Amino acid sequence: MKGRLALVRTAVVLTLAFALVTPSVAAAGARSSIIAGFAAKAGKPLSAARGKAFFTGKHTGGKPETPTCLTCHTSNLRGMGKTRAGKAIKPMAVSANPERFTDPKKVAKWFRRNCKTVLGRECTAQEKGDVLTWLATQ
Amino acid sequence: MAPHISWFSILFSASDIHHSHPTSAKAVQQIYVWDRFVRLFHWGLLVAVTLAALSGFWLGATWIRLHVVAGLLAASLVLLRLIWGLTGSHHARFSSFVRAPHEVLAHLRELRAGVAPRHIGHNPLGALMVLMLLAVVLSLAITGVMTLGGEFKTPPLATLSYDQGQFAHYVHKLLAWGLGGLIALHVLGALFESLRTKENLPVAMITGRKALRNEDADFPSNHSVRIRPVLTVIAAMVLFSGLAGWAGLPGGSGHPPLPHAPVSPSAFNVDYASECSDCHAAYHPSLLPGSSWQQLMAHLDDHFGEDASLEAQTAQEISDWLVTVSADQVDSKPAHVFRKVSPAHPDAISLTPFWQKTHAAIPKKTFSQPPIYGAFNCAACHADAATGWFFPSNISIPKPPITIHGNTSLVSVPSAIVEE
Repeated sequence: MKGRLALVRTAVVLTLAFALVTPSVAAAGARSSIIAGFAAKAGKPLSAARGKAFFTGKHTGGKPETPTCLTCHTSNLRGMGKTRAGKAIKPMAVSANPERFTDPKKVAKWFRRNCKTVLGRECTAQEKGDVLTWLATQ
Repeated sequence: MAPHISWFSILFSASDIHHSHPTSAKAVQQIYVWDRFVRLFHWGLLVAVTLAALSGFWLGATWIRLHVVAGLLAASLVLLRLIWGLTGSHHARFSSFVRAPHEVLAHLRELRAGVAPRHIGHNPLGALMVLMLLAVVLSLAITGVMTLGGEFKTPPLATLSYDQGQFAHYVHKLLAWGLGGLIALHVLGALFESLRTKENLPVAMITGRKALRNEDADFPSNHSVRIRPVLTVIAAMVLFSGLAGWAGLPGGSGHPPLPHAPVSPSAFNVDYASECSDCHAAYHPSLLPGSSWQQLMAHLDDHFGEDASLEAQTAQEISDWLVTVSADQVDSKPAHVFRKVSPAHPDAISLTPFWQKTHAAIPKKTFSQPPIYGAFNCAACHADAATGWFFPSNISIPKPPITIHGNTSLVSVPSAIVEE
């Protein structure tokens, strides 16, 4: 009797753990394949250090109101950012927002828009890959 | 305690009408002319009209609730006065003071010749003024309700079109100025008659009493008429419950949805709702005409200075949907006023002539600082912005947060972060 109850309990715990872990594992998989896609296009190994410098650094060529990614995303990557029209932006750090960088369409849309705003041009595959590599560890 | 004293007899008692009040042999005999209801009506109408004028002319659209309440109070007083004119005391009755036009003209001739007698009730000119004031106040209430119905789709006349509401609004404004003129004439007339007949008429409207004079045109005053308090209350109950029933009907559960109402946010196109609320609140589609939406959706790569580009197919689908629910299709006030766009910037709501006019009095700083941040943020002040209705009483301009050393105590403002 007691043994069977323990068995059921273990099964429940395991099922719950599996249910909780599976989506984040799937998310991690989706994210890795997006990053791998950028790496393949770049033809060079990606660097989290370069990504950090790119994301936090000041740029010219874009709109003067938005010289850096931090203008809207803020230097606290685990906190909320704010669009220039006042809407909240979910955290960029994957540890605070596991959904980040798992939808290729969204990633493409926002890199396209925001690189034009901040740099006045599209970002290269290497720049995108570097940034995601760094943010995935944050 | 007297068994027959009730609030009824307190309000409508006829007893003191029959008695004059000789205080001494030498004192002028006073006669009770204006009964309690007439006096209550007179000063109550003054209060109601003053509140309505104050909120209508000076306080602005955000005081619409006070304006409506004051207007309904004035209209209720007039309706009760109309009943009282048939059931009240002698001098309150229309039959005692309404004169034929030739009698009014005769009174004017007598005034000019300096031989006009005093009337203890309303004189023929005063009677004409009473009728005009009653008619204008009632017409103001009717055109006011029509304006609310047509322009703001407020029951009970919510099925009126915007154009009908706008016409009623125009007439309402004319009548309001007209009422101002009539009130001025009424005050001048009361002063003139007070001086002419050597009797303080405003005080008489407070005490209800006037000096008894044998030479009065309407002497002897006929006080044989019986006040009909029960009939008055029954008539008032029938009238007001009838009005309430009529006014309440369109608000009932069986009321069909209004034609050409702004599309409900719950029925927004899925892509519009998600894509267009990433950076700002999704503006209600009825705030711009279809041509403006098409132009805006065709230039998303330069969207008010931002790149807001979408995949071509998504952008086209959203654009097509916007046209079907745009200002061209909606009969609300915002839809009508924002159809007139700025020729240079047909996609900018805040550059439309109406927006500029109605927001001109608000300091630029109020817009730029938190919690508003800019003219794009309709919902910061308009609580019902998402619905597309923008009813005036839902406007409330928020106060900026307390500032410490020039920095706001709110979540970091973007420009402050760049400095770090």
